[in-house]
Formats: sequence, structure tokens, C-alpha cells
Amino acid sequence: MTVIRAALDEMFAVIGQMVGSVFRHGLPLTDKIAARTALTNFFLHIHPVRVRRSWIRMSYTLCLGGLSFFLFIVLTVTGLFLMFYYVPSTSHAYQDMRDLQFVVTFGGVIRNMHRWAAHAMVITVWLHMARVFLTGSYKKPREFNWGVGTLLLLITLLLSFTGYLLPWDQLSIWAVTVGTNMAKYAPIAGPYTRYLLIGGRVVGDNALLRFYVLHVVGLPLAAFLLMVVHFWRVRKDGFSGGL
Amino acid sequence: MATETRDRIAARDRVEQRRRQEAPSTVRDDSEDEMVVSFPEFVFKEFIAAVAMTVFLILVSIWLQAPLLGKANPGMTPNPSKAPWYFLGLQELLSRFPPLMAGVAFPTFVIVLMILVPFLDRNPSRRPSERKVAIILFALYTAIVVALVIIGTFFRGHEFVWDWGWVLGNPQTCGGKPC
Repeated sequence: MTVIRAALDEMFAVIGQMVGSVFRHGLPLTDKIAARTALTNFFLHIHPVRVRRSWIRMSYTLCLGGLSFFLFIVLTVTGLFLMFYYVPSTSHAYQDMRDLQFVVTFGGVIRNMHRWAAHAMVITVWLHMARVFLTGSYKKPREFNWGVGTLLLLITLLLSFTGYLLPWDQLSIWAVTVGTNMAKYAPIAGPYTRYLLIGGRVVGDNALLRFYVLHVVGLPLAAFLLMVVHFWRVRKDGFSGGL
Repeated sequence: MATETRDRIAARDRVEQRRRQEAPSTVRDDSEDEMVVSFPEFVFKEFIAAVAMTVFLILVSIWLQAPLLGKANPGMTPNPSKAPWYFLGLQELLSRFPPLMAGVAFPTFVIVLMILVPFLDRNPSRRPSERKVAIILFALYTAIVVALVIIGTFFRGHEFVWDWGWVLGNPQTCGGKPC
């Protein structure tokens, strides 16, 4: 009996050590433990340990920056799923989309989520910018972070636009033809810019591959980098602190 | 309390103090506001917002199909051909002004202007009542953008000319036939 009990005690101790190695401070029942948890947790360290209540009032921030970031995560996850089924070539892309919609389990819902989350992100990023403008939060010392945010809005639009081509249906190809035609009007560099962007004179295989690579690697990396800077600067420059 | 934690708090207080000194007097002083731990107070709010957004997205995605038309056909141009909705404002401008101006000069100008906003706005106040000009200008800009997007989406038919048909019914054709 004592042998079994000793073995059980040992087992619980090991389990306790395992849990303790992941969560160092137990349940955050007091402010002190909560503060320590925030300090030692990688995923929470994006926040300051303590904030003023006025900084996080929902009626002030409307959580729009946070929601934009969350939508970026949703888009990354659903996008990864879509990448398992999608081949970016003019001979496969459209059929892959049909399969996603009609054959793959939950393929349609995931694709819809990706699509609607992309539209939602354009809207939340825009509204976030409007909130920051209307509360004058871009003023000293946050001028730089406003600029970073503007670039993030641009990247959001470009991500959405490059994704628009990928289904390779009549909507995609012509929307992107119209969109990239706008680049043509720049003096001297215009036609070259368009050629560089779509890898030819018409939207075809090269354009699909370029947009795909930009959509799944290039632009998300750029967005990620700028977001890291953006969040870092929110901490360093201080929250704007309500009106 | 551990020295490390004390140092942290002292450093944070120094940062706050400097910020207060540098901040223009017309910015609200928040130094007396109540302090709370961000975990779980703040994290909880974000969590609720994230869950609400997830539920909303799943529901919308179940009920609303993302569009998928026929396979891309380079030989058959739909009329009108439209850019994605967030670029329809630009397309709308292109239909009204010379391309160099509407397609290149204007968007570049707007982006540069936006980045420069914090340096152009010399008013140190953040109170809406003291920022009437800035707010009116922003409202005007937003109204123009939204109006252009709505016009581009709903009131542009064949050859991108003005058409009420986009509200009443979709007159888009492919090679002269309905798409």
C-alpha cells in the first residue's frame, strides 16, 4: 500500500511540476499574481502589466485595433487551410475553388470566412484610423505610429487586392485587370510597373503566381513586421488615455 | 518586493512623468486615473471582442456565399468591369479626371498627406470641441470617399456610365450576353 501511495505522490509531484513549468504563478486571484502572470507570459507581454482604466474604455477604443489584429490572425489561419487545397496556376486554381466550395469538408465555410474577414479587416482598419483621428491620438508623441498605421492600412488593401485575383473567376481577372491598369498611368514608370506587377501584358499565369506569392508570403511578412513596430510603439509612446 | 519589480515600477513612473511634462497642456491629464492590471481586466475585454467577432464571422459565412463566377476568360470582358469595392473610389475618379491625375497624382498625394497629418495639424488640443476644423475636414474626406465608393458600386453600369440599373437590377453583360 505504501509503495502505491509513494508512487502516486511521486506522479502528482511530476504532474504538478509539469503544470508549474507552463503556468508559473497559479490562478490570477489577486492583482499581484495577475501582474506576475502578465510579466512572465509571452503572449500577454504585448500589454503593459498595469493600465489606467480610461485607456481601455470600450466606448473610447471600440477595440478596433485589437479586432483588426484578430482578423489578421483569423485570415492567417483560414488562409493556411485554403493553401492546402489551392494551386496557383490558371489550369488548377478555378477547379480548386469549386472543390473547396462543393467537395472539401467545411471548405466553403472556411473560404467564406476568409473572404468576409478580409472585407471586415478593411473596414475595421479604416474605422480604427477614424477613431484615432477623431480623438486626436496621433498627436505628439504618437506621430510616427500614425505613419506606421497608414502603411498598415495600405498593406491591408494590397493584401485584399492580391487575394481578389486568386479564385481565377471572371470577377477576379477583370477586377485585377482594371486595378492594375491604373498603375499604367504613372509617367514613364507606369507601364513598367504594371509589367512588373503582373509579369506580362495581360493578367495570366505569371500574374496569378506573383499575386499568390505576394498574398501568402510577401505582404503578410511586411504586415507582421509593421504590426510588431506598431504595437511596440503603442507601449513606448504611451496609450492616448481617453479624452 | 523584488528589486527588479521595484526598478520596473520606478522606470515606468519616470516615463510617465516625462510624458506628462512633454504633453501639451490641452491633452487630458490621466495621471490620476485608476490603475488596473491588464491581465485579466484588459485581456478579458479583448477576449470578448474576439469571441464576438468569431461568432459573427461564422454566422455570416454560413449564410452568405462568397462570390464565385464562371472561370476567368481573358477573351470575354464583362461590361462594366469593376475593381474591388475599396478601389471603386479610384475608378470613379478615373472616369472623371485625366488618368495621370486621378490614378497616380491623387492617391499618392492622399497617402503622403495622411502620413503627414500629425505634423500639419499644429493644434495641440485633443478635445473635439477645440478641433472643429480638423474634424470637419476629416468628415468631409470620409463622406467623399464613401460617396465615391457607393456611386462606383451601385450607380455605374455599361461602359461605367451613370446607371440606376445597379440598384434596380444588375445589367452586367459578357460579350453582349448576360453573364
